[in-house]
Amino acid sequence: MHPATEKLVSDLQALSIEARSCDFAQRGYHLEIDLEAGQVRTLAECMLKNDMYLVFVGGLHVQPATEVIYQFASFEHPCRVVARAAVDGNNAVPTISDIFQGANWHERETRDFFGVIFTGHPYLKPLILAEEDADLKPLLKSDADLKESGAVRWAPPEEPAAEKKSPNADDKKTEEG
Amino acid sequence: METATVTNGASIELEPAVDIPSSCNHYYLNMGPQHPSTHGVLRVLLEMDGEYVVEAQPVLGYGHRMHEKMAEHKTWMAFMPNTGRMDYAAALPYNHGYVSLFERLCGIEVPARAEYIRVITSELNRIVSHHLWLGAFLLDLGAFTPILYTFDDREQVLDILEDVTGSRLTYCYYRVGGVCKDIDDKFVERTRAFIKRQRERFKVYNELVTGNIIFLKRVEGVGIITPEMARRYGVTGPVLRGSGIAYDIRKAEPYSVYDKFDFEIPVGKTGDSLDRYLVRLEEMEQSLRIIEQALDQLPEGPYLGKVPKKLKLPTGDSSFAVEAARGELTYYLVSGGGDIPYRLKIRVPSYSNLSVLPELGKGLLIADLVAAMGSLDLVIPEIDR
Repeated sequence: MHPATEKLVSDLQALSIEARSCDFAQRGYHLEIDLEAGQVRTLAECMLKNDMYLVFVGGLHVQPATEVIYQFASFEHPCRVVARAAVDGNNAVPTISDIFQGANWHERETRDFFGVIFTGHPYLKPLILAEEDADLKPLLKSDADLKESGAVRWAPPEEPAAEKKSPNADDKKTEEG
Repeated sequence: METATVTNGASIELEPAVDIPSSCNHYYLNMGPQHPSTHGVLRVLLEMDGEYVVEAQPVLGYGHRMHEKMAEHKTWMAFMPNTGRMDYAAALPYNHGYVSLFERLCGIEVPARAEYIRVITSELNRIVSHHLWLGAFLLDLGAFTPILYTFDDREQVLDILEDVTGSRLTYCYYRVGGVCKDIDDKFVERTRAFIKRQRERFKVYNELVTGNIIFLKRVEGVGIITPEMARRYGVTGPVLRGSGIAYDIRKAEPYSVYDKFDFEIPVGKTGDSLDRYLVRLEEMEQSLRIIEQALDQLPEGPYLGKVPKKLKLPTGDSSFAVEAARGELTYYLVSGGGDIPYRLKIRVPSYSNLSVLPELGKGLLIADLVAAMGSLDLVIPEIDR
């Protein structure tokens, strides 16, 4: 691990955010983070302090709650971070557009596609969709297609044997559901 | 919240202006969606104080096709042609990122020859894209002649690429495991002839444009993006490198066979429009160097590896970033098994690069805003997706 990445991990640890190391050759990113909705701004501030830039903010419609995905990377050393935060009971997460100004449009786009509310966003109006389609939420899944959050995740690392079998196991789940 | 009434009678709410007191002398101006300098259907709503921009608010979505939704409704292979229809000026890097994502995820080996062909054609595509930008950028500044030269050069490459890929613009040439058609001696010969010709043409560009006092007066010190600002907005590509940060995915996270070539990352000093111009011009030369080395080392062998007919994606998420002509392109795939992606997020470079405009445009003369926007090298269908 690059020293700067180690520092980032320990900084996050101090803020009680756990960053797990991943196999870049398989997944294409180095660190994986699971967040509570309330920790999003803490994470973004820590990322800015560690000279990371925001790659994108996106959404993922899963059960039990829609997840907001943040990807950060570094201009200086190879380090790509994927963080996921499930929305709270009001379908909302705090905005990070005052920390990373680039998030402004990404958050508006995520609101367009998923209907996620970014609390504190200065101008949460449709960006990509037209005004009359503001409530279309085109990327929400139908009930038949909607999956559990765990069904679109890598199998936990301590069960390497289960990892290979997982695609088939998921298929069965889909057929049943 | 202020409300502006535009010519067609509709009213639009504007993001509240920061630090600038509203004045009764301000007026609103629509730049686009059919303005020649917006290169596609981009609309910028301008709040003006005389000739000066008070607030520039881009209005997006005129070319929105919802590629991300389409990706969830067909097999991952059937989505392949869509990848060439976002950034139409440089479609091959989009092909490249997409196939590489699945190759990495499913552990598919690509024959060495195929990787070299991909690098050669991707770099040719990058040069074509910069030709288009160079002509259009100078056209924005009122110089009509350069586009005639750059489009002449662009034609040379398009002819070469057409022979091997079968298309001139929206390529769908790469396949998982390789490419769909091999290159022949004629391709190699024509590409070498093009490299020689292009190096001569750089002299023409420099004589025609680079030292031109009118050009320099229009771009020097205009639209400065500082490294700190670039980080806050996630600016990448030549725009970022113009600000002095040597970040290029081809070096930072080497994919394909880019680690086998000797090339440099050109960077600017101040981050103004001139620096972005110089960086792109130098990048074309670096692309020529990569192509030259790749042609010299081009291995023999198959151009398409053995790939199972139906690929089943493992459950989980994965990300693949490539350096497209405008910056970092990232595909982020979430799969729940099967061969249809559960979610595909496409992070396009122009999106973040354009998002600096409200901050960049504040206080600029409207003519300088055109120069600054031209130097960002925007492709609007890529932003709207």
